[in-house]
Formats: sequence, C-alpha cells, structure tokens
Amino acid sequence: MIRFGWNGVIELLKFNQIDMEIIELSWFQLAIGFLSLLIPGAILWWFKTGLNRKMVIATIRMTLQLLFVGYYLEYIFEYDNPWLNLAWILVMVVVADFATIDRSDLRQKVSLIVPIFGATFLGIVMIDFFFLEVVIQLRTILEAQYAIPITGMVLGNCLRSNVIGINDFYYNLKENQERYQFYLASGATRSEALYPFFQRALQKSANPTLASMATIGLVSLPGMMTGQILSGSSPMTAIQYQIMIMLAIFTGTILSVFLAIIFSNRFVFFENDMPDPSIYKG
Amino acid sequence: MLLEGKNIDFKYGNEIIFKDFSFELNEGEKLVLKGESGSGKSTLFRLILGFEHPNNGEFLYNGSILKNDTLKSFRKETAWLPQDLNIGNGSVKEVIEYPFQFKSSSVEKPDPATIKNLLIDLRLESSILEKSFSDLSTGQRQRIGILICILMNKPLMLLDEPTSALDRESKVKLADLLLNSDRTILSTSHDPFWVERCDRIIEIQPN
Repeated sequence: MIRFGWNGVIELLKFNQIDMEIIELSWFQLAIGFLSLLIPGAILWWFKTGLNRKMVIATIRMTLQLLFVGYYLEYIFEYDNPWLNLAWILVMVVVADFATIDRSDLRQKVSLIVPIFGATFLGIVMIDFFFLEVVIQLRTILEAQYAIPITGMVLGNCLRSNVIGINDFYYNLKENQERYQFYLASGATRSEALYPFFQRALQKSANPTLASMATIGLVSLPGMMTGQILSGSSPMTAIQYQIMIMLAIFTGTILSVFLAIIFSNRFVFFENDMPDPSIYKG
Repeated sequence: MLLEGKNIDFKYGNEIIFKDFSFELNEGEKLVLKGESGSGKSTLFRLILGFEHPNNGEFLYNGSILKNDTLKSFRKETAWLPQDLNIGNGSVKEVIEYPFQFKSSSVEKPDPATIKNLLIDLRLESSILEKSFSDLSTGQRQRIGILICILMNKPLMLLDEPTSALDRESKVKLADLLLNSDRTILSTSHDPFWVERCDRIIEIQPN
C-alpha cells in the first residue's frame, strides 16, 4: 500500500527499487561511447566553428586526466592513509589555486597565489571537518571513499565561484576606481570603500549555485546522485547525500570567495590603499 | 596655512605633468587652479589625496607632511568632487547616505529635510532621490556629488571642475552656496564664471 505525502514518496522509491547490481562497463563498451562524438564533430565542422581540434584535444585530456585520477584513486582507496588523502587534497587545492587566478584573468603573482591558496585550503578544511567528521562521522579520519569525492566536488564548485567572485571584485574595482577613491577621499577605511565591490562579487558568485539549488531535481538530476544510483545505492540514500553535498557546496563556495577576497586584499594593496596594477593582465 | 604643495615634480610615463610646482592654501580661502584640459589639474587632486606619489616634492596639511601613515587621517578632513562622478547603481538616496555610514564620519546621517533643502538650492527635484544614480545626466550627477560634499561638512573641499556640466542658474546657486561661505576650497576650473569668483587664481601651464 503506497501512502501519499513525503513518507509516500519514500515508500514509492523503495517500492520501485530494482535489482541494484551494477553493470560493469568494458573498455570496448566505453570505446563505443566515443562514437557519439561524431555528431558534435560533424556539426562543428559543418558550421566551420574551428572547434574540432579543440574538441579532440579536450576529449583526449578529459580521458587521460580521468584515467590517471582513476588509477591513482584506486591506489589511494586501497591504501586509505589519512596523510596520503590529505596530500591528495593539497594537490587538488594547489591546482585549483593556479586555475582560479588564471581563469580570473589575473597574473600568477605571489600576492595572489598565497592568499587564494590559504583561503581555498582553509575553506575546504572547515567544510571537510564539518561534513565528514560531524555530519557523516567517518569511521577513520579523512576516509578516502568519502573524503576524496566530497572534497573534489566542493573544490570544483569553489573554483567556479572563486573565478566569478575574484574576477568581478578586482575588475569591477579597476573599472570603477573613481568610486573607490571617492569613498577613500571621504574618509572611508579601505574595507569601507571596498564594501560595495565585495557585496557585488558575493552576489555574482552565489547566484549560479543558488539557481542550481532552486531547480535541482526538476531540471536536472545531479551528477553525484546519478553516479550513486548507477553504482547501486538506493535513490533515497543518493538524495540524502545529494542534499548534504549541495549544502557543503554552497557553504564552501561562499566561504572560499569571502576568504579569498579578504586574504588577497591584505597582499594586493599598497600602503596608500591603491591596488597593485601589476595583478591585472593587459 | 591649511594645505601646501612644495616643489612638486610628477611624470606620467615620459610625460612631465608638474615640474617644481608649488602652491599655498589658507584656511577659508577659495583657491582655483586654472588651466586647459590635460594640464594636470585633476592629477593634482590625485597627488594630494595620495592615490599617486609625486616623483619629488611634498604636500603639507596643517604643517605636517602627508605620507602613507598620515594619509588616512588627512582623508577624514577632505571632501573630493571628481570631474566625472560615477558612484554606483543604487538609488540617489542610497548613494547620498552611503558615506555617512563610515566609521570616520563625524556627521550624523543627514535628515530628509536638510537633503531636500539642498536639492532645492541645487535646482533638483526631490523625486530624484528615488531614481537610479547611474540613470542621471552628467550635470545631475555633478550636483549630487556637490550635495554630498556639502553634507559631509569637511574642513577642506577639493572640487574638480565643479561647474563643467551646470547651467548658468545652477552655477549662480553653487557660487552662492560655496564661495560665499567660510569653507576652504581648492578647485580646478577653466570656467570664467567660477574662476572670477574665487579669491585667488593659479594658472597651470601644460609642460
């Protein structure tokens, strides 16, 4: 008997659970999947977009990177040492740090690399501690099966938000420097004069995550949940993890943008409160 | 003497903007720097406020040299009107009230009656308060900037071309409000109406 309401939905999901045995993909089956690229390849070639070479390179990179990570993660999961897991998280943060600065159209300067690394790392440590140790309560510290994918997902989203937030903050400041200087000349402290720029950067970086939170499940099924269902978890378990990861992503993105701007402000500005113009590309 | 510039040299790239330039501004005085566009009038304000550093020379405020550590307290004493004021997309009311939220602001947030009286003095409708600041014309933005500078009531006003986008009647009102007061004003202008009404003129020649 299926009841209505939230409990009804849960029962419906349980009722509809099919045999969750996972179908293993062979390398041959995966290779067949690559044939689908003939369609976008043909469309892009027909319209002379000039993107075919880029598509091939991106596909090769995606495949090699994921294969490398796959092999590495198999090793990490098997060994499951908290120090090794922490080292892997550090590697991910370093890569995210350089990618954030590069995609924000800023120069790779120590005054940006160090504070953005610090902000991303501190943000991730706080999120991991709360969600892995307090919410999930892992059996061992930084257990690879949970720590690596959850950190990776939060970090990937932090990277996207940091790029939007940091780019908007510094380029808005460059384009509207008279506004900033007007406030300084009126006696504002640096942080008071930067407040409107900070406010807009937070709005811009939070909006995409908020929009995806508002439509999740209706417009698209999120990747993590889909992956969990495909690998045999019940839909309800997958949903619980998905809700948790959305909370972790939103908290992590806001926290890392906030910390990245606060920390970088300490290094990027001269004593006369003017930003170092050499951080900008072009 | 309130403000003094001593032997200022300033180059922008290879272009010499100021060479051995000096001036003195006494308390209550209305000093105008007159010069053509590109003669460096606006740059002088940026130098005084410490946004740029002169290659040589120094500025003194109340006898103390302006350096990085004294700039912050100096900026609490100033109200600056840049030539093209672009201070945000919020409503005019929000833009006017924002500087009064600073910790340094010794003046209370202005009450609506004071703002409305000043709007009338500057020939602006009070309905302008609800408009978006970015939708205003250059002349309206300039008058709102002047209004903020007056409301801040600082010991030193730095006005960059304050009449450049104003009609004759607004200029008369502005001159009456500012030049007939006991405020200390350093301005730049090449508008004869404003220049003739200031206490003293320094001509800046392009180098």
